[in-house]
Amino acid sequence: SILAWMGLEISTMAIIPLMTQQHHPRAEEAATKYFLTQATAAAMILFASLTNAWLTGEWNISQISHPLSVTLTILALALKIGLAPMHFWLPEVLQGLNLTTGLILSTWQKLAPFALIYQIAPNTNQTLLITLGIMSALIGGWGGLNQTQLRKILAYSSIAHLGWMIIILHFLPNLTLLNLTLYILMTSTMFLSFKLSMATKVNSLATTWSKTPPLAALTMLSLLSLGGLPPLTGFMPKWLILQELTKQNLPITATIMAMTALLSLFFYLR
Amino acid sequence: MLKILIPTLMLIPTTWLIPKKWLWTTTTSQSLIIALISLLWLKWDSEIGWSSSNIYLATDPLSTPLLILTCWLLPLMILASQNHISPEPINRQRSYITLLILLQFFLILAFSATEMIMFYIMFEATLIPTLIIITRWGNQTERLNAGTYFLFYTLTGSLPLLVALLLLQKDLGSLSMLTMQFTKPMTFISWSDKIWWAGCLLAFLVKMPLYGIHLWLPKAHVEAPIAGSMVLAAVLLKLGGYGMMRITSLLDPLTKELSYPFIVMALWGIIMTGSICLRQTDLKSLIAYSSVSHMGLVVAGILTQTPWGFTGAIILMIAHGLVSSALFCLANTNYERTHNRTLLLTRGMQIILPLMTTWWFMANLANLALPPIPNLMGELFIIVSTFNWSYWTILLTGLGTLITASYSLYMFLMTQRGPTPTHIITLYPSHSREHLLMALHLLPILMLMSKPELVWGWCYC
Repeated sequence: SILAWMGLEISTMAIIPLMTQQHHPRAEEAATKYFLTQATAAAMILFASLTNAWLTGEWNISQISHPLSVTLTILALALKIGLAPMHFWLPEVLQGLNLTTGLILSTWQKLAPFALIYQIAPNTNQTLLITLGIMSALIGGWGGLNQTQLRKILAYSSIAHLGWMIIILHFLPNLTLLNLTLYILMTSTMFLSFKLSMATKVNSLATTWSKTPPLAALTMLSLLSLGGLPPLTGFMPKWLILQELTKQNLPITATIMAMTALLSLFFYLR
Repeated sequence: MLKILIPTLMLIPTTWLIPKKWLWTTTTSQSLIIALISLLWLKWDSEIGWSSSNIYLATDPLSTPLLILTCWLLPLMILASQNHISPEPINRQRSYITLLILLQFFLILAFSATEMIMFYIMFEATLIPTLIIITRWGNQTERLNAGTYFLFYTLTGSLPLLVALLLLQKDLGSLSMLTMQFTKPMTFISWSDKIWWAGCLLAFLVKMPLYGIHLWLPKAHVEAPIAGSMVLAAVLLKLGGYGMMRITSLLDPLTKELSYPFIVMALWGIIMTGSICLRQTDLKSLIAYSSVSHMGLVVAGILTQTPWGFTGAIILMIAHGLVSSALFCLANTNYERTHNRTLLLTRGMQIILPLMTTWWFMANLANLALPPIPNLMGELFIIVSTFNWSYWTILLTGLGTLITASYSLYMFLMTQRGPTPTHIITLYPSHSREHLLMALHLLPILMLMSKPELVWGWCYC
């Protein structure tokens, strides 16, 4: 797990220069915030694995068995990817970056923590994960409602989607990976289409219809897919996750998650 | 089944590759041929009731009339949209027709689905093309609001349905409708079972719509372009009724007590929406509220869960679909000429467009359920079954019939008789396309009078 920590640190270091390319005060502020949060998270992971080694003598990260270490690791990784209630850095950081860097931040940077999360999946605490998931979905939905900046909207949508991913981790980790893959695809589409139309606010999206109608249609379809409407692909992870939740006798959780999907859909529709 | 689905899908490349001169002719004729082929479904010869099936799609006497209605409406929608779309660039026209075809495809899949989850997915899938049609081609600025109302009302109802269906799948193992008829009656004792029951029905009640949750309907109907209004009124509302009929076979014995408030809401809604119709100034809004009123009757019929109730519901759904669609087309002919929908400004059309008056007359007579038109048969069946459920309902349903008659006559008299305002004397005469449209709407109703067993559903064949 020392190697895991080193890997995470290196990826953080690598993206910092990319973020500070624009000599804009907001970009520098974003880079600073990002660095601080990621470093904290990485330190917490190191601390968690040390605790585990002290208590159980086990260094391998996929065999963390002590509940304290597991909880600490989950919280640290949640901070890294931006799950609520540790999500506060994500909207501002994304706002400060240009669209390409934001794309890398939302997609590639999520892969490494998720690899770790997948590995510790069997040992995780069910209640904690469900709490994190529901909170993220709710905050992601509510927070995005009042936004007009596209990057902040994508940040809140990322928080909500991560909530969905984390909630099923304890029961069926493969669904988490499926959700992550589809989310990466859809978010990349969104970022790239925004970059092509050079839109950073909701108002500027309105002119794409006259410039490139196919692009506008595509943007709309992928927004609807992000919202999880059948029969678009975005529905599939939500459906499967709800199915798994009901199989595990958690229908109330399933209903709450489904309702929060409506919240996100509202701000996608604009 | 495939002989209908593949031609419908192939209509999409057709619209994009046909030269501009032939676009409307080709699509109309091809969809008409598909509609005629769909009449083949009317032959039911299987014992368990499901015929022409493959693993995922099958038809039975409940879904066949609705399927034929859907297929029949596509050429009518294309005919109706021809005029108001023609000023737009050709690519937009093609995408409009493509959306209509896509909607048709999802509707066929929804009505013929054998598994409840597939039905659910198609149920939701029909929302997207409808939303796009309303928001992109609607006429007023309020259409964005209308689209949002439409989408969110329906989705809020249907997400609990998804969870309820998944719970059902966990208990039953499969949601195929073929086997659902044979499940053992389930015991319901706890509160969560009652919530599950409500979750199953709520989506369909919102879609129908039931009186308390009907606010999306007038907005959506008024703001939609003509084809959107037609398909909304005729078919999409019936999706709700169809879903309800499929799922109520599982929900006994809880339904006896729990359906009480919903039947009351439905019956009260008939009277309330009927009275609202009498005070409307907007023609399309009047027809929309009359739709809510008729659908309230259908909801009451289905929730009584008697054979006559179901039969009446199906007949009323088919007949109302055709008649409502016809009324919207008529309202659209007025709108295209005067570009307003206010009743006061489009009075006295009889002098100007006399042949249209005939169609107005027939459509309004059908709406108020004149015998021997099938609308009456449906209403009578439902009234009898609600009378059986409780003697007091005859007050509400009788009053409802009276109010329906009065607002239909009001609509006719307002638009046709009376002094003609001087500003509309210069309207251009009716196209033969419009006459064809009205004839194609009303002919099936007249023909159904001679063999109503086609639309009686399970109970009589």
